[in-house]
Amino acid sequence: MEPILKTENLWKIYRSSQVEVSALQGVNFEVYPGEFVAVMGPSGCGKSTLLYVIGGLTQPTRGRVLVDGNDLAALSDAERTRLRRHKIGFVFQRFNLLPTLTARGNIAIAQHIHGNGFDPHRFAVITRMLGLTERLQHRPAELSGGEQQRVALARAVIHEPKLLLADEPTGNLDTRNSEIVLGMLRQLNRELGQTIVMITHNPEAAAYASRVVHMRDGVIVDGIPAD
Amino acid sequence: MIAQMIVRNLFHRKLRTLISVLAVGVEVALVVVMVGLTTGMLQETAKRIEGIGADIMLQPPSSSIFLAFSSAPMSIRIRDRLKTIEGVRAVAPVLLQSSTSGGLDVVYGIEPESFRAVSGGFVFHEGRELREGYEVLVDDWYAAARRLRVGDTLQLFGHDFKVVGVVEHGKGARLFVPIRTLQQLFGAVDKASLFFIKCVRAGQTPHVMGELRALFPRYEIRPLKDLLSMMTPSSLPGLEAFHRSMIALAVVIGFLVILLSMYTTTLERTREIGVLKALGASKAYIARIFLVESALLCAAGILAGVGLSYLAKGVLTSIFPTLSVQITSVWLLRAAAIALGAGLAGAAYPAWLASRRDPIQALAYE
Repeated sequence: MEPILKTENLWKIYRSSQVEVSALQGVNFEVYPGEFVAVMGPSGCGKSTLLYVIGGLTQPTRGRVLVDGNDLAALSDAERTRLRRHKIGFVFQRFNLLPTLTARGNIAIAQHIHGNGFDPHRFAVITRMLGLTERLQHRPAELSGGEQQRVALARAVIHEPKLLLADEPTGNLDTRNSEIVLGMLRQLNRELGQTIVMITHNPEAAAYASRVVHMRDGVIVDGIPAD
Repeated sequence: MIAQMIVRNLFHRKLRTLISVLAVGVEVALVVVMVGLTTGMLQETAKRIEGIGADIMLQPPSSSIFLAFSSAPMSIRIRDRLKTIEGVRAVAPVLLQSSTSGGLDVVYGIEPESFRAVSGGFVFHEGRELREGYEVLVDDWYAAARRLRVGDTLQLFGHDFKVVGVVEHGKGARLFVPIRTLQQLFGAVDKASLFFIKCVRAGQTPHVMGELRALFPRYEIRPLKDLLSMMTPSSLPGLEAFHRSMIALAVVIGFLVILLSMYTTTLERTREIGVLKALGASKAYIARIFLVESALLCAAGILAGVGLSYLAKGVLTSIFPTLSVQITSVWLLRAAAIALGAGLAGAAYPAWLASRRDPIQALAYE
């Protein structure tokens, strides 16, 4: 089986005046369809940078990133945007919902950007699975943190992305809501076959994944089966 | 979906939206009222001159169609020559002077008899015809604006004139005094600024004009039925430039207000821009959000501007009853196009900035 995500000798160097910081230093990493992979590591080890690079939000300095066979390093900005639109979903630590839209609007806008119009069936399946049916008319400010993250989760998967990237999705949640959101990520993975890469520094969160990889100083240091 | 987001964004910052809409409204009203005021005054003046009922106006060489700028270099005795032309029924000499007491008014110095012969005479609301000396006739609009009645005193050219009659408006000027009084006051004895000529039949006008051109080749000879179409802003020196200046000022106001409003909006919504980029929104998609938002602001501002224009017209004409403000659909459309163009130009830079924002920096924006 071909990996849905593959990085080869991936480097990301940030340059600021005369200072260079190597956030990624030759990352080699593969994710196969249907996997739920947790990337663990201490703060500053390059986890978030890895997520941004494999999500096409920034270009690597060296190396290759293949998402569903597309080399992100070889794509233009517009092509990476298009790939993100069709193949990648993001969940952020701070939810990042659009404050003026309702929960329904926040989910529907992803479908709108995707360009295939509103799919009521997919919308119903996802919102039911994430327990949002009764909260769709509320704005983010009227939702709890857990509910906001579930809306963000729905927004990320509504267009059936090949890859869901979650950046510390429980970092702003209490234990109970963290468990709910992590449980839903696992449910999405198991019931819909959603491929997930989750960045976390929390071992309890990582335990929900089917595989855990560790990062340190910009490199993947091992690959440990979680189950 | 975009429309819903844009409308909600506009309502999310109500005060900023209101200020932007009002600024665009003022921009539209500025153009519409300024142009309406100047055009209205011109057209109203033209109608009043047409209302005299003469067929032809004879002026000295190089005279302006705008009578306030005319001088008095013609001998009144030209009238005798004019009367001999076949087809001429009556000739009325008029001496013009501009009075600046309480505003700019053109005063007609007339001979009551000849003016009556050309115009058919005044319709009197009260009072009587002019005789001699410091007497003045005022039209009903002027009388209402200045609260004048027969017997009141009106100061003109540093002298007290007695109001002897209030007449129906529409006979050239708003103020009429005896021509001899005006000639003596300005050292223009036996002079006239222009002659109004009445033909025996209207169909004889071309013939009479031909005769006049032969007799007075360098003089300005104009048929009065064409005066309305000739009295346009382009025929008054400086008025087009004034219009352009007002439009430029309005454009600058609209441009700057929308630029500032949309720039602060894009700053405030930096994280949202980052989110949209992460979701795969293209640069065009993001730019479109801000351009459509500014277009909606402009549309609301244009509606407000139309309302403000009519409000300003009502206020102006109630305070100054002699003013005429002509609001036309053509200028409403032009002002709308100007406001929309200026607004979109003002939004272009913030929209461009937003579309090019780095998604990672945008997502990290506090």
